[in-house]
This record gives sequence, C-alpha cells and structure tokens, in this order.
Amino acid sequence: MADVAQLSTSLRRGTLEFCVLAMVEDEDRYGTEIVRRFGEEPNLAASEGTIYPLLSRLRRAGWLDSKWAESPTGPPRRYYSLTGTGRSALEHFRTEWVSFRQTVDRLVGTSEAT
Amino acid sequence: MNIQHTDLAAEYLREVDQRLAGLPVLQRRELLADLRAHIETERVERNLSEGELIEVLERLGSPEVIAAAAHEEAAVQGRPYGGPSPAADGGAYGWPSGSVDAGVYGWPSPPINAAAPRKSDGPRRFWLIALAAVAVLFAGFLLMGALFVARSDAPAINQEQPAQMAPPLEPPDPTLGR
Repeated sequence: MADVAQLSTSLRRGTLEFCVLAMVEDEDRYGTEIVRRFGEEPNLAASEGTIYPLLSRLRRAGWLDSKWAESPTGPPRRYYSLTGTGRSALEHFRTEWVSFRQTVDRLVGTSEAT
Repeated sequence: MNIQHTDLAAEYLREVDQRLAGLPVLQRRELLADLRAHIETERVERNLSEGELIEVLERLGSPEVIAAAAHEEAAVQGRPYGGPSPAADGGAYGWPSGSVDAGVYGWPSPPINAAAPRKSDGPRRFWLIALAAVAVLFAGFLLMGALFVARSDAPAINQEQPAQMAPPLEPPDPTLGR
C-alpha cells in the first residue's frame, strides 16, 4: 500500500501543477474552487490542503497571478489567473506530455494500438 | 456552536503554523490566509455542522502533510522554463481587502535562497584550504629557519638571515580570495 501511495505521489509530482494551470486557462478561479475540483478527482490530491502551497509556488514562479476579491456569499476569495509565462509553460507541457505518454505507453505496454 | 467551529478551525491552523517554522514569513502568512479563507468559505457557503467542518479539515489533510508540502514547494527552485522573473515574483502578493480593485498589493516576496547556504560552502572550503596551505608554508619556514640558526656559527648576526634563505612566503592565490 505504501508503494502504491509512493507511486502516485511520484506521478503527481511534475504533472499536477499543469492540471492547475489548465484549470485557470479559460477563466479565473478562486482557491477553494480549484481545491474542490481536485477533491472530486480520486487520483490527484489526497490532501486538498497541499494545493495551496502549490498555488503559492506557481504564483512565485510567475505562472499564476492572484488577487483577492469580495464574494457575494462569504469571505473574500483569492482568484488565480494564468500569466503569459504560465500559458507558454502549459503549451510546452502539452507537447512534451503527448510524446512522453506515447513513449511510456510503448515501453510498458499500455499503448492501446498494440 | 459557532464558537466551537472557530475553536476547531483555529486549533487546526495553529497546528499547521507550528510546523511552518523556517518558511519565509510571507509564505507562511500566505498559506495560513489561504487555509483560513478555505475553511471560512466552506463553512459559510455550505452552512456546515461541526461534523461537516471536521470533514472539511480532514479533506484538507493533516497539519503535518500540509506543512511538509509547504516546505517542499518552498524548496523547489529553478523552473524548467527559466526562473521566476523578479517582477512576477514581487508583484502579486495579495491580502483580502475591502474592494475588488484594491485586492493586489505589491508585496516584495522574501528572498528565497534555499540553495544559498550550500553555494557558500564552496568559497568557505577554499578558504580553509588556503589557510591550511599558508599554515604549512609558515611551519616549513619556521622549521628551516630553526635548522639554519642551529647550524649557524654566528647566531647574533644571522638572526635575520633565515628569512632571506627561506623560500618567500607565498601570498594566497588571488583567485581564492574573491
């Protein structure tokens, strides 16, 4: 079981951040919204709270921008948006990911074409 | 009930905060503000019972797990697409504020230099080596001087001679000394 957890941790590392970037690609979203979305996916973040340090890093890296805004229903929300650099990083990841996935599929025999 | 809520959330945030020691202070405050806003948003928008609040905290993860993630993310340096630009790094820190437009503050981010202490190891080691080299040269110089004096027949006059005979004390390599 520990190995299974370790594997998904390793797989998440380096890919989860692009899932975050993609989530704010078309519209700005606030932190809780992003976290809730990830919470719906069984494989992505076992602990939702770990998304916040990730968002912080992406902001510090200049890939995300953030600003606090009033909410009609509750406390202020922190909205995240994709910067130009973040957008290029996401595009680059998409290209890399497709060829990476194909290579891994071929090597470990998970390719559907075979 | 509301008080219990607040206590529970406050206790949780305190537990997280205690484990964030060593993190740059702005990152620490940022994370706590994010978590506080998350809990508050869930609490208000979903009108949670205490049991449901516990569930929200459980989904967030244990304070240990969150703090570990924070330390890990703080240590990640050198983005694959070039490092963060200084402007982007310093510009976007925001706190909750009264109006939408005033929501972005230009907080300078703290310098994040996880790698710096390791970098300075290099020069420090060079200095140690340079110091050791100088010490060895100096010891050799003294030894030769002592031998010369011991063999000399006229010690009073030749007191300064060992300095002339001994190899000059080399100054440390200028490249070592910045």
